[in-house]
Amino acid sequence: MKAALDILRKLLRDPAAAAGLVIVLLLVAVAVLAPLIATHPEAVWDMNPRQRLLPPSEAYFFGTDRMGADIYSRILFGARITLTIAITAVGAALLIGVPIGLVSGWRQSWLGEALMRISDIFLAVPQIVLAIAISQTLGPSIENVILALSVTYWPWFTRLVHAEVHSLRNETFIEAAIALGVPAWRIILLHVLPNVTSPIIVRTSIGMGFTILTASALGFLGLGAPPPAPEWGRMISESREFLPEAWWYALAPGLAIFLVVMGFNLLGDGLRDVLDPRIRRASTGR
Amino acid sequence: MRIVALILKRLAWLVPTLAGLVAIVFFISRVIPSDPVALLAGETASLAQIELLRQKLGLDRPLIVQLLDYYRQLLSGDLGTSLFTTRPVWDDLSARLPATIELTIAAMIVAVALGIPLGVLAALYRNRFVDHFLRVFTVAGLAVASFWLALLLQLFFAMDLRWFPLQARITGFPPPSLSGFYVVDALLEGNVGRLGNVLAHLTLPALTLALPALATVVRFTRAGVLETLQRSFVMYQRAMGIPVGLIVWKYVLRNSLISTVTQIGLLFGILLAGTVVIETVFQWPGIGGYAFEAILHSDYAAVMGFTIYAGVVFGIVNLIVDIGHAVLDPRGAAA
Amino acid sequence: MPNRNRGKFLEVSRRELMAYGGTTALAIAAGLDATTFAAAAKTRFVFANESDYDTVDPHAAFDVGRVAVRLNIYDGLMRWQRNPAVLEPWVAENYTISPDGLTYTFKMRRGVKFHDGTEVKAQDVVYSFDRILAVGKGAASLFKTMVEPGAAKAVDDHTVEFKLKKPSAIFLSVVPEIHIVNATLVKKSESGGDWGQAWLSKNSAGSGAYKLTQFDPAIGFVAERFPDHFKGWGPKWIDEIEFRAVKDTNTRVLGLLRNDFQGIGGYLQTDQLNRIKASGNAQVLEAESMRVMMAQFNVTRAPLNDVHVRRAINYAFDYDGFNKDILGGLVERNPTPLPNTIWGVPKDVKGYSLDIDKAKAELAQAKVKIDKPIELAFLTGFQQTEQAAQLLQNGLTKAGVPSKVVGYPWPTIVEKFKDPNTTPDVSVYWISTYYADPHNWIGEMFSSSTAGTFKNAAHYKNPKVDELLDKALRSTNQAERAKLYEEVTRIVVDDAAGLWIYNTKWYGPYSNKIKGIVFCPIGSAQEMRTAYYESES
Repeated sequence: MKAALDILRKLLRDPAAAAGLVIVLLLVAVAVLAPLIATHPEAVWDMNPRQRLLPPSEAYFFGTDRMGADIYSRILFGARITLTIAITAVGAALLIGVPIGLVSGWRQSWLGEALMRISDIFLAVPQIVLAIAISQTLGPSIENVILALSVTYWPWFTRLVHAEVHSLRNETFIEAAIALGVPAWRIILLHVLPNVTSPIIVRTSIGMGFTILTASALGFLGLGAPPPAPEWGRMISESREFLPEAWWYALAPGLAIFLVVMGFNLLGDGLRDVLDPRIRRASTGR
Repeated sequence: MRIVALILKRLAWLVPTLAGLVAIVFFISRVIPSDPVALLAGETASLAQIELLRQKLGLDRPLIVQLLDYYRQLLSGDLGTSLFTTRPVWDDLSARLPATIELTIAAMIVAVALGIPLGVLAALYRNRFVDHFLRVFTVAGLAVASFWLALLLQLFFAMDLRWFPLQARITGFPPPSLSGFYVVDALLEGNVGRLGNVLAHLTLPALTLALPALATVVRFTRAGVLETLQRSFVMYQRAMGIPVGLIVWKYVLRNSLISTVTQIGLLFGILLAGTVVIETVFQWPGIGGYAFEAILHSDYAAVMGFTIYAGVVFGIVNLIVDIGHAVLDPRGAAA
Repeated sequence: MPNRNRGKFLEVSRRELMAYGGTTALAIAAGLDATTFAAAAKTRFVFANESDYDTVDPHAAFDVGRVAVRLNIYDGLMRWQRNPAVLEPWVAENYTISPDGLTYTFKMRRGVKFHDGTEVKAQDVVYSFDRILAVGKGAASLFKTMVEPGAAKAVDDHTVEFKLKKPSAIFLSVVPEIHIVNATLVKKSESGGDWGQAWLSKNSAGSGAYKLTQFDPAIGFVAERFPDHFKGWGPKWIDEIEFRAVKDTNTRVLGLLRNDFQGIGGYLQTDQLNRIKASGNAQVLEAESMRVMMAQFNVTRAPLNDVHVRRAINYAFDYDGFNKDILGGLVERNPTPLPNTIWGVPKDVKGYSLDIDKAKAELAQAKVKIDKPIELAFLTGFQQTEQAAQLLQNGLTKAGVPSKVVGYPWPTIVEKFKDPNTTPDVSVYWISTYYADPHNWIGEMFSSSTAGTFKNAAHYKNPKVDELLDKALRSTNQAERAKLYEEVTRIVVDDAAGLWIYNTKWYGPYSNKIKGIVFCPIGSAQEMRTAYYESES
C-alpha cells in the first residue's frame, strides 16, 4: 500500500501524468454519476423532433442531435458505454494474455513456442481489420464489439509478459529458487508476477486508450451498439449529414473521445516513467 | 546467404500464420454464434428453413471438413464472390489495391520525412519548450480519432477554405491507368497539370492518415537519439570537443534511420488500420473503402476476403521490412 | 464553423487553376470568363448518384437508382413522359389492341438506329423481350404474370406482336421497360447460354440518345451524345454525361455546392435542400410526384398477425414530428397506400395519427402476446428510413412495446422479402412510380399473387381484396377501376395492413446553369436528352 501511495506521489509530480489521472477519474465519475448530472436523462432513448439540430444553449449545453435529443446528456451516458467497453475488453485481454505469456515465457518448450505463434496469428492483421470481420459476422452490439476487441488485443499482453518472464528466468534469484526445489507455480506467482506488474499496468492504461479509439471507429462504421444507444463513434457518423451547419453535433463526441484517450495515454506515459524508468519511452510502441 | 535463409524462414512462417488467421475467422463465424446457420437464415426463419439452408450450404458436415474445403478454395485464389458487385473479391481488391498503396506510401513519406527531424529536435533540446510541445503534439496525435480528424480537415480545408478537393483521387472520370498509381502515371506522361491535380487530391487523406504514424516516429526517434547520445563513445566524442552537429549527422541519424526501418512494419500496420475509415470519409477508391462498403452491404464474403487479403499484404510488407532491416543492420538480423 | 458566404465561384477552383498550368492562367489574366473558354470545349454534366452503377445491363435492374442507364443509353417501344406521366409512343409509331385484349400490335418507326449504325428492327424487340424473361431480373416478374415465354413475335421487320395470357390493364404501362438491345451484337457476345449477361453488364448495345464510352463499376459511367438519335436534337445539348456513385450524402451535397457535380440524387433531408437553395450556384427544382414512404408489416407472423397490434403500431408513429419537423414540411401526410394525387384514392379516409393512449387501448384488445422485441428494419444508407424506424421505436416504447432497429442494405432486404419466414416484422422504405396506375401501389402491395416481391413485404392474403384487384386489372374503364381501388383502400386501411407516412414532391438539386431538365415520375428527370447549359452573357 505504501508502495502504491509512493507511486501516486511521484506520478502527481509530473503535470502531464497528473492531468491524465484527473481525466481518467473524471471519466469514471461522469459514467457513474451520469443520471445525476445529465440535464435530460431521457435523451438516451426519447426523442423530440421539434427540437432537432438546435445549437448549444442553456437548455442544451452541446445542442441537440437529428432526433432532437440533448447531446450533452447523451455524451454523459455514452461515457458508460465507452468505459464498459474499454474495461471489459482490456480486462479480458489481460486475463487471457498474461497467463499465456507466463506459461510461454517460463519454459523453452514446444508449448511456449506454439503459444507465441498463435499470438502471431492474431497480429497478422491490424486490430481493426480483424475486429471488423468479427463484428460484422456477429452483428452490431456492444457485446460483440467487446468480444472482437478482446480477441484482438490479448497478444500484446502475451508478448510483453513473455519477454519479461524470459529475461527474468535467467536472474540468479530465480535460479536459486528453482535449485531449492520451489515449485514452478509458486515461483511464477510470488516472484515473477510482481516484477511483471509494472509493464502490465502501463500496457493496460495505454491499451484502454487504443481500445476506445478502435471501438469508436467500429461505431463510426456502424458496427457498434445499435440506435438509440448514445455511442460516441456512431454519433459522429450520424452528424456527417448535417455539417458544417450543425458543427456541435460532430465536435462534442469527437472532443470527448479525444479527451478520454489523451487522458489514458498521458496516464500511461506517466506510469511508465514512474514505475520503471528503465523502459524507454518509445519501446513498446503502442 | 543468411538473407536468403531469412527470407525462406519468414516465408515458411507466413503461410501457417495466414492459415491460422483464416481458421480463426472461419471458426468465429461458425462456432461462436449458437447456430451460425440460423444467423445466416435470419432471426425469423423456421426450423425447417434452417435445416434446408444448412444442407444447401454444406454446413452439416464436420467443421474440419468445411475448413479444409475453405482452404482449398482459397488456395485456388478464390476469396469468394462479392454479394454486391457479383465479381470475385480477389478481382475487386486487386483493382483497388494500388489506390491504397499510393495513399499509404504518401502518408509514410510524410510521417518519416517530418518525424525523424522532429524527433531529433526533441531529443537535442530535451525538456525545453520544443520537447514539451512535441510531447503534447504526439500524445494528442495519437489520441485523436482519425475519422473525426478527417471530417474536420475535409470541412475546413476542402469546404470552407476550398484549398483542396473534397474527395476521390482525381477530378473527373479517371483515365485508364498504366501503373495504378496516378502520381507515377502523371510523371511518366510529363503531365504537370494532372500531377498537380493528383497531388492536391492526395494531400488531405495522406496528412490525416500520417498523423498517428508521425507521432509514433517522433517518439521513437526521440528515444533512440537520447539513447545514442548517452552511449559512451558519443560522450567521449563530445568530451573531445567534436561538434554536436557532426555527431548527430554521423551516428545519431544513421541509428535512428535503422530503428525507423525496424518500425516500418509497425507503422504500416497503423497506416493500414487507418485506411478503413479515412478512405470512407474521403471516398478514396482503395481497399479500406471497399471494406466499409462491404460492411454497409452486409457483404459477408467481401469482408472475409478483405481480412485475408489484408493479412497477405501485411505479411508481405513485414517480410520486405525484415529483409531490409537485415540488409541494413546485420547485427540485429536474427530476429 | 461559421457559415461563410458562398458566393458564386468560377467553375474551376483557384487551386485547380494553378494545377492546370499556363493556358488557363493566361486566360484568366487576360480577363476571359472561364465559361466562354469552356464553350469551345465539350459541355459536360456530372451527376452524383446515391447508389452504385454496378451494371449497365438494362434488363438486370428495374430500380430508380440505376435508371440513368436505361433512359439515356436505351430506347423502348413506348416511354413515359412529362408530369403527370403520359405514355407516349417512342420507337413505336402506334399500337393496336385486339378487341379481346389479348393481342398488342406495335408498328415501329423506320430508320431508328443503334449506336453501331444498324437499324432497330422488330427482331431486336423480340430478342430483348425474350431476354428479359430468360434473365428473370428487372421487370420480368411483372411480365411473367401477363405472358408466357415466347409471347413476342416479329410479324415483319417493323411490326411486333405480343400475345397475353389474359387481358391486363397494366401491360401497356409496363411496355416501356422493354429496353431494346441490339440482338446481333449481344448474340455475338453470348457465352455459355448467358444471353450475353457478362458482356452487356459492362458494354452497351443500345440506340438511346447517349452512347456508352466508359464504365467502371466502382465509379460509374460516361456516355457521349449520339447525333443520329431518332428523336433528333434541339439547338442546344450536353455533349457528355457522366453518372457516378457518391454514396455519402454530405459529399454529394458539398460537391454540388463546389460545382464538382451539376446534379445529385438521393432523397435529401430538408436541411440540405435549404442549404442548396441558399447557396448562390445551385437550385432545387420541384415537381408534383408520386412516391410514398411507408412501413410494411409482415402480417403472417405474431404479433403482427393481430389487427389490434397493427393498429396500435399505426397509433404509435409521430407523423407530424417526422413530416413537419424532421422533413421540414416538404412532404405531405399520406394516410393510404396510394399517393394522394392519383385517381382511385378515397378522399374520406383520414387514416391514423399519433395517439399513445389509443395504441395502448388497441394493445389491450390484442389476443397475441408480445414476448420479444419487434424488428424494425430500415435501409442502410438511407437516413430517412433509419430516422423513421427510430421514431417508431420511440413511440412503441412509450406504448410499452419493445422493439429493435436493424439496418439492411436494399438487395439484402429484397432477398429476405421473398420468404415470409425471413421477412422482418416491419420494413421502412418507399414505393416510387414505376408506371402511373394505382396497381403500381395498392395492387402490387396487397395482392396475394405478388407476395414476396419487393413491393409486397406484407404477404397479405385477403380473398376479398384479391377479387376486387383482379376485377380492376381486367377492366379498362377508369371510373369503374377507381371505385374498385377505393374500396380496396378502405379495407386495407381499416385492417391496418401497413403504416403509410408521406407522399413527397420531387426535389432535384442541380447547378444553376442547367436548363431543360424535365421531370417525369418514372425516371426522376434523369433523361438528359433535353438538358443544356444556359450560356453566360
